[in-house]
Amino acid sequence: MTPSALSTDPTQSFKRTITGVTLVALPVVLFMLALMLGRYPIGPVDVGKALLSPLFPDLAADIPDVARQLVLRIRLPRALAALLIGASFGGTGTAFQAIFKNPLVDSNILGVTSGAGFGAALALLLLRDTWQVQLFAFAFGLLAVFLAFFGSRLYKSTPLLILTLMGILIGSLFGSLTAMLKYLADPLDTLPAITFWLLGSLTAITWQKLSALAIITIVGLVFLWLVRWRLNILSLGDDEAKALGVNPARMKLWIIICSTLITSAAVSVSGVIGWVGLVIPHAGRILVGPDHKRLMPASIALGAAFMILIDNIARTLLPGEVPLGVLTGLIGVPILILLLRRNRTGW
Amino acid sequence: MPLSPNPFCMKGIKMKQRLTQLTLLLLVTILILTGCTPANQATPTDAIEAPETTLPEEELTEEATGPAGRFTIQADADLPPALTVLYAACFPDELPVFVDAEADLLVTTATQDDAFSLSYLPATFLPDTVLIPQSDSFDAAYFIAFAVSPAGQQVLIDIGALPPTVTLTDQAGNTVEIDQPVRRVISTYGPATAIVYSVDAESRLASASYLGARDELGAAAMERIDPRFQDLIGDDNFSQDDFNLEEAANLDPDLIITSARTAWLDTVGELEIPFFLYDAETPERLKEAVLLTGQLFGPNSTAQAEAWVNYYDWVYASILEQTQDLPEEERPRVLFTGTAPTRVASGDMYQTSLIEIAGGISASAELTGYWNDVNLEQIAAWDPDVIIVPPYGGATVGAITENPDWQILDAVQAGRVYQMPKLVVPWDTPAPDSVLGIIWLTQRLFPDVVTLDCAEQAQYFYYTYYDYPISADEIDTICAVD
Repeated sequence: MTPSALSTDPTQSFKRTITGVTLVALPVVLFMLALMLGRYPIGPVDVGKALLSPLFPDLAADIPDVARQLVLRIRLPRALAALLIGASFGGTGTAFQAIFKNPLVDSNILGVTSGAGFGAALALLLLRDTWQVQLFAFAFGLLAVFLAFFGSRLYKSTPLLILTLMGILIGSLFGSLTAMLKYLADPLDTLPAITFWLLGSLTAITWQKLSALAIITIVGLVFLWLVRWRLNILSLGDDEAKALGVNPARMKLWIIICSTLITSAAVSVSGVIGWVGLVIPHAGRILVGPDHKRLMPASIALGAAFMILIDNIARTLLPGEVPLGVLTGLIGVPILILLLRRNRTGW
Repeated sequence: MPLSPNPFCMKGIKMKQRLTQLTLLLLVTILILTGCTPANQATPTDAIEAPETTLPEEELTEEATGPAGRFTIQADADLPPALTVLYAACFPDELPVFVDAEADLLVTTATQDDAFSLSYLPATFLPDTVLIPQSDSFDAAYFIAFAVSPAGQQVLIDIGALPPTVTLTDQAGNTVEIDQPVRRVISTYGPATAIVYSVDAESRLASASYLGARDELGAAAMERIDPRFQDLIGDDNFSQDDFNLEEAANLDPDLIITSARTAWLDTVGELEIPFFLYDAETPERLKEAVLLTGQLFGPNSTAQAEAWVNYYDWVYASILEQTQDLPEEERPRVLFTGTAPTRVASGDMYQTSLIEIAGGISASAELTGYWNDVNLEQIAAWDPDVIIVPPYGGATVGAITENPDWQILDAVQAGRVYQMPKLVVPWDTPAPDSVLGIIWLTQRLFPDVVTLDCAEQAQYFYYTYYDYPISADEIDTICAVD
């Protein structure tokens, strides 16, 4: 069956509308929830007043200043960051799986996360300022992909396979370098900071950091959104793509550059969160099928919803922050197994 | 059993022969001391320094009292036999002179001194038996140093006055039998090193890992406290994670002390060197750790350890007396942060006990384990009145007070964010210095209630337990109230 054949069926069409509405509503609802949940108890009405207080200062007169500040300075940027990071993992994962024609890759395949992890560890060891940590993570994430990409140009045959191999090699190289830094780090001081960063957390998010993340992520996702139909063509194979008037090499390069930029920006803020980009596209396929015109928005929405769900749990489950890298697998795997059981679909 | 000559006694012989060449003699002595076997490194530092200040007077005393003896001893009834053997080991073929009054050296039963005034603790060479100098006699001072040194301990073991081994249960629950005297120790755990110093056994260290000695100020202070510091520092070879077996074998240790949370215990088991484990995260466990350390090194260190425990108890009781009637609502909630502002101490940690003894309430007591990473919202929910940052890991007051997000906390608004002081060992770690951390924190929390003074007590503590006359500048920096 082709997508156009599906749409003629009225029950299918109804189902698709329901799925679409759910996919849009899910992150929105979880986002609202994120603003209301927290270790510091703030009622839903007070949250609403706090949110409107920059526009109508009189509204917040009767709520404690701590509550207002918490909602505006801590919860809001953090919830937005979770949405953006989840969306970029979902979007880039879908794009990479399409251009590599491989359902087992995500945007980390070219070593961006390992590079970012090394950059962050280096900055934590030497500099300690949170801004520098983010900058180093971003820069080394890009550097890792750059090395993998130009490393693959040394060989002329089957570029995609070589590129994958170089990505894995560069990833391991930065993995070893990170391990070396952890070995050198002071076990009482910098080592816990590095370990915590590598496990992923949104604790340190501020409006300042969010603004940089938001610009890169939104521009990148808009690009992926606009090229989503080309992913269908690219996933067919290079010859078919050429036959259909698309330059596959140039298209792939642009998608890799764009995905790397937004993944690096996301990882530099959140720390290493694997898994999401790999699995969210599969969940998307189960819900809306393999057509990238629908899969791309579905993956973006699912990624955003999943990330904010995970972060809500990380923030509120225990007095201590639970690392995101711990929760993504623990919560994501059962959900995915449940979805796989209920549906069968090709990728 | 024939006793081999030792540096103390050789020194004594030469002195008698060449009373007029005292300066030259001192140089020879130092040469001998530095050139001898490792055991000789155990010479207490005050014994080496003693001649410079006391020699001229000693010259006069000897001339006045004549050649009848180096100095006179007044001892309790059952002690002369042991003292005679000890004396003969120190000054070969010589006999001590016992008198009933006005002796140069008083040997008697130890009395409990609860004054905690500025003074060295008397040397305890047998359990509860102390040597108290009554004059400036250099030989008497030398004899005292000898009596509590490993060599003197060996003499007392040989005549059965001290046990040849001690059997102790370490803080991991292992029963360890340790041959006495302990001459060469590797300490791979900073708090344990601090305890060794405070029980006056630092001369037994062959290598040590230090707390707080990695920063410039700490290292400088440590060099003033112990001239051997640069040679002892072993952090590169020995830590909680690493243990360089070859380096350890080179040092020929007869005891290794370390944390119970050490990674390499299985490997070192192969060396067949006894090791002793520390795990002191509560005041009771810390007191136990200090007492056990005292027992490792013999009667003098035991007495020193007991004195410290008495002091700790006295500080605790004094503070409790002054703060116990404070109602719950007047007790500040204190948050103890770590190397990052959002990393906080758990309820299981020593820092929580510190806050509670000082009369505060630990804001993060519900947490378990070690340091916990939390978020600012959780800290806002705890709403601490006071925030303490530690003196290590690059933590600063500014990292909290200058962060705009942290302005939502009342403690930050009120400027009640303070950094825990340290000289070398941070005052919040489970080491003897933490008694000062309690006093300092109490002063911060209840400046109008508590009478114990940080400066006064720091001076007493470092003088008595580190043999270190802390300078007024150091005290002003440490105890500064801004």
